[in-house]
Amino acid sequence: MDAVSLIPAPDALQVHWFWLHLLLTFTTFLHFVAMNIMLGAGLIAFSSPFWRGSDVLPLNAHIAKSLPYTIAFTINLGVAPLLFLQVLYGQFLYTSSILMAVYWLSIVGLLIVSYYAAYVYRLIDIKGGMDRLYIGAAVLLLLCVSFLFSNNVSIMQMPEIWTRYFSDRTGWLLNFSDPALIPRYLHFIASAAAIGGLAIALYFEIRKRRGATDGDEWIKLGCKWFTVATIINFGFGFWFLGALPETAYNPGTLGGKIFFIFIIGSVATIIPSVAAAQTGRIIPATVWALVTVLLMTLARDILRLTYLKPYFNLSELPYVPQYSPFIIFLLAFVGGGFIVGWMLRTVWNAKEVA
Amino acid sequence: MNYPVWQLEFLGGGFLIAVIAIIHVYIAQFAVGGGLFLVLTEHLARRKNDPNILDYVRKHTRFFMLLTLVFGALTGVGIWFTISLLNPSATSVLIHTFVFAWGTEWTFFVIEIVSIFIYYYTFTTLSQRNHLIIGWIYFGAAWMSLFVINGIIDFMLTPGAWVENNNFWSGFFNPTFWPALFFRTFFSIMIAGLFGFLTASFIKDKELRTTMLRYCAKWLLVPFVLFLASSWWYRASLPPHIDQIIFQKMPQLRNAITIFLACSPLLILGGLIMAIRMPSGLSRTMAAVMLVIGLMNFGAFEFLREGGRRPYIIYDYMYSNAILKKDMDQVAEAGVLNQAKWVEHRRVTPYNINAAGKELFNVLCLSCHSVGGPLNDIRQQVRRSSPEELNLIFTTMGNERPYMPPFAGNNFEKHVLINYLNTIIRK
Repeated sequence: MDAVSLIPAPDALQVHWFWLHLLLTFTTFLHFVAMNIMLGAGLIAFSSPFWRGSDVLPLNAHIAKSLPYTIAFTINLGVAPLLFLQVLYGQFLYTSSILMAVYWLSIVGLLIVSYYAAYVYRLIDIKGGMDRLYIGAAVLLLLCVSFLFSNNVSIMQMPEIWTRYFSDRTGWLLNFSDPALIPRYLHFIASAAAIGGLAIALYFEIRKRRGATDGDEWIKLGCKWFTVATIINFGFGFWFLGALPETAYNPGTLGGKIFFIFIIGSVATIIPSVAAAQTGRIIPATVWALVTVLLMTLARDILRLTYLKPYFNLSELPYVPQYSPFIIFLLAFVGGGFIVGWMLRTVWNAKEVA
Repeated sequence: MNYPVWQLEFLGGGFLIAVIAIIHVYIAQFAVGGGLFLVLTEHLARRKNDPNILDYVRKHTRFFMLLTLVFGALTGVGIWFTISLLNPSATSVLIHTFVFAWGTEWTFFVIEIVSIFIYYYTFTTLSQRNHLIIGWIYFGAAWMSLFVINGIIDFMLTPGAWVENNNFWSGFFNPTFWPALFFRTFFSIMIAGLFGFLTASFIKDKELRTTMLRYCAKWLLVPFVLFLASSWWYRASLPPHIDQIIFQKMPQLRNAITIFLACSPLLILGGLIMAIRMPSGLSRTMAAVMLVIGLMNFGAFEFLREGGRRPYIIYDYMYSNAILKKDMDQVAEAGVLNQAKWVEHRRVTPYNINAAGKELFNVLCLSCHSVGGPLNDIRQQVRRSSPEELNLIFTTMGNERPYMPPFAGNNFEKHVLINYLNTIIRK
C-alpha cells in the first residue's frame, strides 16, 4: 500500500502558516527550556547521592522544592506547541498517535504518577532514605514519557512505516526501525542533564547575588554537570547526525543548508557557554546556552520539514483567512504576560532569601 | 474515513472518554469555583481577623493545588489525547476552528498556574492586599478559561450559524453559549462547597469545623437556585430536535436523566444535613458521599449533553463516525470501502467477507459501540435482535432511530456488515 494514499486530508488554517509556525517554534523553545530544567534537575537530584552521599542533601532540598513547579510549567508550556503542531501537522500527528495509542494515552497516567512522586519528594524528609524511591520514580517515569514522545515524532515523520497499522490496529506500535530514534532520545536526555546542571548553577548564582552564602559548591557542581553532559552530548549529536537521512544535511538543498547552519551555530554558541561556565560566569553561560537551545529548536523544525518533504509542504495547506481570533489571542498573550510579570515582580520584591 | 481507527473494542462506545471527561470536568470546575471560594474565605478570615480560618484557607489551598494542578490539569491533557485518538477528524475540526481560542485559554492557564503557586506559598510573605489580589487574579483567569472552553464545548452541541458560514464567532457564541456559561459557573460554585465540606470535615477544632461546614453549605445551597434557573434556560435554548433526542427519543439517556433528577434534591438535602453539628468521622463520611453525589449529578449532565449530539459529533455537520453530513450521498454512491483511506480490504470476495465486514464495522460503528464492553455493547444488541430485526435497524437508522446516523455505505456494503454482525459478533 502506498504511504501517500494513507495521509489524511488536512483542515484549513485561519492565518498564514508562517504565524502558526512562529508560535510553534517559540512555544517549543519555551517547553524545551522548562523540560530540560525539570528532567536535568531531577536526574541530578537522583544520581548525585550515589557518589556524593549525604553531602548533596542541601542541594536536593532546593531541587525538591522547585521540582513540582518545573513539572507544572513543562506540562503547561508543552500544551501550546502541541496545539500549534496539531494545526500545522495534525494529519501526521493524529495518525502517529493512533498507531501508538496505548503508549500515547499512557503518558497521562505516567505524568500524574511522576508529578505526585515529585510532590511527595518535596513533602517528605529527604534524609529518611525513602526520598530516592520517589525522585527515582519521578525521573524514571519522565524518561519513559520522553521516550514515548520521541517515538511519536519518529512515527509522525515517517509515513512510510504507517502500513504497519494493518498488522496491529490496537495501538501498540513503536518505531524501533528508525535508526535516529535512540540517538535522538539520548541527545535530548544529555541536553536535559546539561541544562539542568546550568539551571542549578544559575539558581544559586541568583541567590548569591541576593545575599545567600551557601551556593558556591552547588554552582560548581551545576557547571560540572553542564560541561560533562555537553561533552558527552557531542558524541550523541554526531551519532544522531549520522543516523539522519542524507537529505537532512545535504548542502545541495535549501533545507540542508539551513539545517547545517543551525547545527554549526549550535556548536558555535555552546562552546562559549561551556567556557563561561568553567570560569564561573553563569549569566553569559546561560545566555549562550539559551541561544543554543533556540538554534536546536529551529534545526528540529527544519528536520521535520525535510522528513516530510516527499509527502507534504506547508504552503499546500488550505487557508481560509479569519484574523480576528488571532488578534484576540495576541492581546490575551501580551496581557497575560503583563499580569504574570506583575505577579513575579511582586513576589520578587517581597521575598526574603530563605 | 480520513484517519485510522484505533481498535478499542472493550473500552469503546464512548466509555474511555466518558470516564476521563467526567472526572476532569468535575475537577476543572472545582478549579474555577474553588478559586472564588479561596479568595472569599480569605476575605472572611482577614475581616474577622481569625488566624484559624486563615490557616484553614492555607490548608485548603494545598489540597486545591494538588488536586487541580496535577490531576485536573493532566486529565485535561488526557481528554485532548483521548478525543484525538477516538475521533481525530472532529478533533482536527475543533483545533483548526478554535486554535486561537485554545491558545487564549492556554494563556489563562499560565496565569492560573503562576498565581496559584504564588497564592499558596506567600500567605505570610506578601501583604494582605497583594495576596488577595493574587487570589482574585487566579479566579479571574480560571473563570476566563471556563468562558473560552465553554464556547468550544457547546459549539459541538449547537454550532448554530457556523455550519453555514464557518465563522469563528458564530461557532463560539453559539445558541447555548450563555446559558451553559451560567449553568457551569453556578455548578462550579456548588462544587467548591462540596470540596469545602471535605477539607472542613478534617478540622480538629469542633467549633471551627461546624462554622466552616455551615459556611460551605451556603456555597452549595445559595447558588443552587440560580443553578436550577440556568438549567431551565439551558434546556429552553436547545433546538427542539436536540431536546427531543435527549428527553424522548434516546432510551440510552433515560438513566442519566433519572440520576440527574435524583441527585439534585439529594445535594440540597445533604447540604442541609452538613450544616448540623456532627462528629468529625460522620461529617467526613458525609462529605465523601456528597462529593460522589455531586460527581454523579454532574456526570449525568455531561452524559446527556454528549448524548444530545447524537447522531453527530459536531451537530448537523459531522456524524459520530466522522463522515460529514454533506458527504453522505457521495459516500453512499462510491462505497465506504472505496472512500476510506485506512482500509485494507477494498474488494470484497468470499475469502475476505468477514474481514471486509470488520473494516466496515470499524469505520462506521466503532466510534459509538463497544464490543463486549460496558457501554453501548454491540454484541448484546445484536444478540437480542433476530437477523430480521437487525435488517430493520439498518433501514430505520437516521429516521425512526434519529440518534443513529443513516447507513453510509452502499447496499452491498450493508449486506457485508450485517453478515459480519450475524456471523462474528453474534457468536
